[in-house]
Amino acid sequence: MRDATRQTIADVILAALVAAGAALLFIGAAELPPPRFEPLGSAALPRILGTLLIFFAVILVIRALLRLRAGQASAAAPSGADPRRGALVFVALVLYVAALDFGRMPFVPATTVFVTATGLVIGARSWVNLAVFAAVGLVLSLAISTILERFLYISIG
Amino acid sequence: MLDAFLALAEWQNLLFLAVGTGLGIVVGAIPGLTASMLIALTLPLTFHMDPVSAVTLLIGEYVGGISGGLITAILLRMPGTPASIVTTFDGYPMAQNGFAERALALGIMASVVGGIISWGFLAGMSPALARFALQFGPWEYFTLVLMALVMLAVLSQGSMVKGLMAAALGMAFALPGIDSSIGQARLTFGSSAMLSGFGLLPVLIGAFAISQILRDAATPQESGRMDMPKSKLPIYRSDLGYAPKLLRGSVIGTWIGLLPGIGANIAALVSYSTEKQLSKEPEKFGTGHEPGVVAAESANNASIGGALIPLITMGIPGSVTEAILIGALTIHNLQPGPLLFQNAPEIAYGIIAAYLVANVLMLMLMWGAVRYIARIVQLPRSGLMAVILVFCVTGSYAVNSSFSDVWVMIGFGLVGLGLEYCRVPLGPFVIGFVLSPIAEEQLRASLMMSDGNLAEILTRPYALLFLALALITVIWPYIAARLGARARAKQAEEPS
Repeated sequence: MRDATRQTIADVILAALVAAGAALLFIGAAELPPPRFEPLGSAALPRILGTLLIFFAVILVIRALLRLRAGQASAAAPSGADPRRGALVFVALVLYVAALDFGRMPFVPATTVFVTATGLVIGARSWVNLAVFAAVGLVLSLAISTILERFLYISIG
Repeated sequence: MLDAFLALAEWQNLLFLAVGTGLGIVVGAIPGLTASMLIALTLPLTFHMDPVSAVTLLIGEYVGGISGGLITAILLRMPGTPASIVTTFDGYPMAQNGFAERALALGIMASVVGGIISWGFLAGMSPALARFALQFGPWEYFTLVLMALVMLAVLSQGSMVKGLMAAALGMAFALPGIDSSIGQARLTFGSSAMLSGFGLLPVLIGAFAISQILRDAATPQESGRMDMPKSKLPIYRSDLGYAPKLLRGSVIGTWIGLLPGIGANIAALVSYSTEKQLSKEPEKFGTGHEPGVVAAESANNASIGGALIPLITMGIPGSVTEAILIGALTIHNLQPGPLLFQNAPEIAYGIIAAYLVANVLMLMLMWGAVRYIARIVQLPRSGLMAVILVFCVTGSYAVNSSFSDVWVMIGFGLVGLGLEYCRVPLGPFVIGFVLSPIAEEQLRASLMMSDGNLAEILTRPYALLFLALALITVIWPYIAARLGARARAKQAEEPS
């Protein structure tokens, strides 16, 4: 896909999401009572921001369509990126937090597994790295849980 | 001021300042990691510290974070922070020509001198400016916040519409929760979890750290070969000849730092260009010319002192890092602004004193340990990213001992990533989030004072000035483009 097309699609999706967000602001503001003790009221800023967001979204769509019509290419996207690795790290992060929050998994083993998995996803996969990341994860989790529990009186996981 | 220096001399404050500066230098030297990310990550730790110690730690991180960038800029041509991009122009060629130690020495020296000169402005101007700002009422504050937001949005990189949209989006995300002026839930849609709104820290950590790491994880790491500095860093008596250049760079950096949204990288670029224009041998710039390093490094460090002036005197952030510092002060129940000098002078003067001492500590740490810092930078970043993610999770959790904040952080990580993908700048988004409650509070107070009469603003000259500046910032790019086109057309029409 050409960069101009990709950027246009991204801008149109962004504008649609922003417009949906603006609609949420209007819906939420409609539920608020009218001002009683002061002229502005609680609903004013959501309405002002909602209007501004819709205005910017419309400009964005118009500009994106004009750009597409002119066939202009915007600045090139970074090359050589592997979005799968970013996605894998994100999934690992969600699983890690879910394990701590819903699974009530203890912090030290969960963190050790998370650091090892993430390190191997981002870096080179080898037995040496596996051992290094596991050791880093273990030491880090022990240090953090000690600081949180002993000094800050916070219990995690 | 003397009291602030005495408080700073207490061992724990000095230790926090040294740790902050050291951490900042290391993080600043690692390309991709920034001072704002470090400050956001260490902010949860400061909850349990006294405000003076917290502020010294964060100021140390800020100064170290900007200064550390020069190490990789010179040795690897990979600026650790955007502020050091200009340092690569002459610093890297110097290293390639076998003068890495000399480039590092000049860069460190210029950074320190830039910091000290801008400290002079910070210490000299801030109390007077704060006294002046005491005359401001809610109208002035509202328009000042509006002007800062508009300037940040318009001057941030990329499209102006996207910058303004980012600021409005950030403001919108700050709306849910209990509306403090009427004590009623707003935009919570019946969810009790939303009653406290989105916490500042989860939003900051998510938008900056998480999105940055997810982006970095997807990007192949550049592995440049680094020539480690071998001998001592040389400095000569003849370097005193650089005094005018240092002064020029520092003054440029300080004044550019004062303006919201411009930043240390532009300060370095303007200083570099000025030096090149004034030079008798401009052709040498870009080939490993010492004045190039001096101009860039003195200006980027001086911009910190400049940016701290509106922060402590008016509560206006010049960049994301200052927005996080405002968040840090708010967390400690301190309101940055002119009253800070009256209500918490130990903090206001503490920031000023910490800034000077952090520069001195930065000199000592970088001069003595630049070789070791360069080695740390070469460690594989895969493990580092995993470690930072764990800090993000524990930092967000520690705010309220709640995993809701961690989920909010992950959500804002995705928001940040999405915005960056669509080339929407994150700076105005975060600053809009931080400044939204202040803007709304001041607008409400203004309208209450004037019985809902908007025309009251016409009787307030400073408020009108701030509004006019905001308006000029928005329309100037169009006027400049129109004037440029007209000048080009006129030139084309003229017979050659």
